[in-house]
Amino acid sequence: MGTEEAGEAESFYPSEEEIEKWMDSAFDMAKDALENGEVPVGCLMVYGDEVVGKGRNEVNETKNATRHAEMVALDQLLDWCRSRNLDTRSVCERTALYVTVEPCIMCAAALRLIRLPVVVYGCRNERFGGCGSVLDVSSANLPQTGTTFKCVSGHRADEAVEMLKTFYKQENPNAPKPKTRKD
Amino acid sequence: MEPQTKRWKGSVCDTDSWVAYPVLSDEQSQDVELIEAFAAPIVNKKETSRLVRELNSVYPLNNLQHVKRVRAVKEKGSGHPLEVLVCLVSEAPDMKVVSIDSLLPSDGVRSDGLGEPFVVRVPARPPLTRPQFELASKHWPTSFHEDKQVTVALRGELFSPPQKARMHMYMMSALTAAKAGKELGMEAVGAVMVHPVMERIIAVGHDCRGDHPLHHAVMVCIDLVARSQGGGCYSFDRYPACTFTSDTFQKVPDAEASSQPYICTGYDLYVTREPCVMCAMALVHSRIGRVFYGTASVDGALGTKYKIHTQKDLNHRFEVYKGVLGKQCEDLNNVDDHVKTEHLKKSR
Repeated sequence: MGTEEAGEAESFYPSEEEIEKWMDSAFDMAKDALENGEVPVGCLMVYGDEVVGKGRNEVNETKNATRHAEMVALDQLLDWCRSRNLDTRSVCERTALYVTVEPCIMCAAALRLIRLPVVVYGCRNERFGGCGSVLDVSSANLPQTGTTFKCVSGHRADEAVEMLKTFYKQENPNAPKPKTRKD
Repeated sequence: MEPQTKRWKGSVCDTDSWVAYPVLSDEQSQDVELIEAFAAPIVNKKETSRLVRELNSVYPLNNLQHVKRVRAVKEKGSGHPLEVLVCLVSEAPDMKVVSIDSLLPSDGVRSDGLGEPFVVRVPARPPLTRPQFELASKHWPTSFHEDKQVTVALRGELFSPPQKARMHMYMMSALTAAKAGKELGMEAVGAVMVHPVMERIIAVGHDCRGDHPLHHAVMVCIDLVARSQGGGCYSFDRYPACTFTSDTFQKVPDAEASSQPYICTGYDLYVTREPCVMCAMALVHSRIGRVFYGTASVDGALGTKYKIHTQKDLNHRFEVYKGVLGKQCEDLNNVDDHVKTEHLKKSR
């Protein structure tokens, strides 16, 4: 497991126990998705000890290619804040994202924009990864794109990769839209 | 929406006021990288074809296929008409003194007809654009497989006057949307999605980040396109300037499912300023056809900080042009500042 320092010192940081616990939940979600023929990515946003957002890929049903699990979870977080009349920014600044696969470039930029400080992820995303695999958006110098965030990577990485491989093997080679890639 | 091209004919449409330039990859825009090589004069022209053949087998110059082996000497009275590349300096054997005999293995090349070697600099990579080719050729004759479209685009002459008139109109719509968004307290950014074959606007959006931190104009426009296809996950109905056309595809029978639109495949996006990283990558995921923007942004990801549209590891690449109504797009913020100051003056 590796940690990458990014940006200014931030006191907010999940403990080993928290990482274990929430990543277990994320993996359960990913497994559930796999069993239901969905992209096996599990993702949750945790504020304090409460899950304030969770999501899975919704690209096909919305015909919107930006509906990755993280974006769906983020909308739930915003709704959660709204329903409790809480300031979104101060909640985001103390929320951690747990996700089985490294966020893509788009999601990494979105996480910066909402100023989320920490992302814990399982395996690398070689195709689209925005936390170092394709680009390192998480720590790049982008003064007008929110704040940098820290990454804790590698938790149960092999398992996350295996699930993705199983999913892509299952996919019907005669599918009309073979280019529909989700992560 | 009605085709608006007619309205523009003969009216105020100064398409000469702007030029759309392509945003090329780093490889296409960078300076010519040079590499040192030994060249030698061919003092006896009759030996040329033998020398080239023998040198090619001893020093094949495998990664320099774009560099010509022999060049003519232009200066008059140089004493020899031709010069030949012997080998790269990095490939040369260890020599105490540089001489043609120490460069050539005794059993490989007969040095008859060759003069003493000297160092030249040759282009390390094949030129990708005409400006690179012209620079490279100043150092050593280089071959060039020209991409005519890139050459014309770099001159700012890719689009015909009727094409420019349409581009002008689309960006005007984006500008109008940007101003409508600004009136509601949003950032002054507008985006328009166009079906280029049908010459039809599919969706118009503006920045809505007052409601949602990620509702940048491009993200709004992408969701409006999804709604035009029967999907989408937000409602922007409360914003009159955020619109989509839903009747475009209903006449297509189900039998032609392959011609049904799929996310933003093949569409053109017009956006008043360069998209950020999130929006640029959203366009990759949406398989956008081409992007036209007015003015660059500080953290822009289609030219300024990144060139996501040319990123090698990604599975979709697209063309990007900047400068469409550049002045007007740039003025979006300045005008607002001016208005703000006017307001301040009045309230004092």
